[in-house]
Amino acid sequence: MSSSYKSIPLEERRRLREKKYKKHNLANILTHWFNVGCWLLLLPTGIAILSSPRLGLSPLWWQEAWRNIFGGTANLIRFHYTIGLLWVFVLTFNILVGFRKYFVPFAATRLLLDKDDIEWLKIKPLQMAGFMKDKELPPQDAYNAGQKAYMYVVILGTIGIMTSGIVMTFNRIFPPILKQIAQPVHWVSVFAIIAGLMVHVYMGAVFPEEKEAFFSMFSGKVSAWYARAHHEKWYNEKLKEEAEWEDEVEQEVKEALATHN
Amino acid sequence: MATVKKYGFVIDVSRCIDCRACLVSCSVENKVPQDHTRIWVQDLAVQGEWPNLSRTFVPYNCMHCDTPPCIEVCVSRATYKDPQNGLVLVDQDACIGCGYCVEACPYGARYLDKSRGVVDKCNGCIQRVSTGLEPACVATCVGGSRKFGDLNDPTSEVSIAMKNATSVMQLDYESGQVDTDPNIYYVNYQGMENPLIVGNAALPHPPNYTVSEEGWKKILVPLMGLAVGGAFLVQAIYFTKQLIEGEKEFEE
Repeated sequence: MSSSYKSIPLEERRRLREKKYKKHNLANILTHWFNVGCWLLLLPTGIAILSSPRLGLSPLWWQEAWRNIFGGTANLIRFHYTIGLLWVFVLTFNILVGFRKYFVPFAATRLLLDKDDIEWLKIKPLQMAGFMKDKELPPQDAYNAGQKAYMYVVILGTIGIMTSGIVMTFNRIFPPILKQIAQPVHWVSVFAIIAGLMVHVYMGAVFPEEKEAFFSMFSGKVSAWYARAHHEKWYNEKLKEEAEWEDEVEQEVKEALATHN
Repeated sequence: MATVKKYGFVIDVSRCIDCRACLVSCSVENKVPQDHTRIWVQDLAVQGEWPNLSRTFVPYNCMHCDTPPCIEVCVSRATYKDPQNGLVLVDQDACIGCGYCVEACPYGARYLDKSRGVVDKCNGCIQRVSTGLEPACVATCVGGSRKFGDLNDPTSEVSIAMKNATSVMQLDYESGQVDTDPNIYYVNYQGMENPLIVGNAALPHPPNYTVSEEGWKKILVPLMGLAVGGAFLVQAIYFTKQLIEGEKEFEE
């Protein structure tokens, strides 16, 4: 993608870097960092709880360390599900409150895979493996196809974690068979999300080309240069919106002037 | 697992008369719901041919195994082997009552208390033992069949009873990876056949691993390992590449 940008004059490039577009709203940003905080508390305690020797998924010293911090298995579990219930409550609350304003537009415009995304999903893994280096990636929306694919994992995984977690928390209510199924569902969902999370954190916080994405998670804004390079379709949409808005204002000014005169 | 003390039971099968006073005292002491019992007595019916007949009653409770299959399956260590006294205990504040351990126990010594949503079992009356009393079943045993004490201590009642016994039997379950090494010793049986295995005595049965528990181990664990490991590897490769090549934020 970089080759085509060489033709852009330097002045223009600078202008694009200066210009900012709003990508994330405040609700999005706060929910994201609330989610991060909960995960930082839930993941270590959850792995410490997950101590079946037959599974062998967490080291003994880790299990012991967290049990010592909280004073036993029962207290560790109490902490885990208290934070978990808070997480479930806030996320559900946010989605319900912002359902029409944020969630529906997000699901309708940013979530679905289109033809370009399918093409991207075909080419990108091959490029990462070292093939088809010269092939151009199709233009991407506000989120690229990889992000969208991960979003599905996160949405399904989150639903899995929440429902199975609630089943295990309210153990008096639910029958044993559900509690048995809930356990693998709970941590398989977690590990599916973790697999993607490693790439997510690397791409978001470490990978140099995506630096702006990281800061946009605080400011909500990305530069036009970044938008053009990584999310061309979304960028074009923004340009169109801008032009339409300009036209509208022009029209209004003209009308105002006409009535004034 | 080596523990400081090793509390266990020695049961004199020749002295049990199937009065079941132990069941009553156990249920009263531990507030066991009426449709369940932590301990039980197996009646092996009349054996042998006239006039050489014998009838044996075998008292059972949790074997407090050295390597219990129930603990292997517990996801949260809500059930554990106490490192101090060697008893297999359930932390009912941590237990969610999924019942993996109930299925895994080869002796059927556990049950699901549905009203509380937890698993319950013999705890060796640790609440009594820690204050110097005997477990309720031992204290009530009219024939002196049940004995309880530290098997590590050669001067304890159980060790002496074992030393003086004419025969000692264990209901060990050993197959593949599983070897329970139970801590109930049945002594002084005079009959011909092993009373713990003959007849319709269905114990011990192989540990039963539930579908969701077994499924984890065979399919999901390797699958998740592959996914997480793969993702980690990919980002690690890119990160090393980034470190070696340095960062080029702008091309000008």
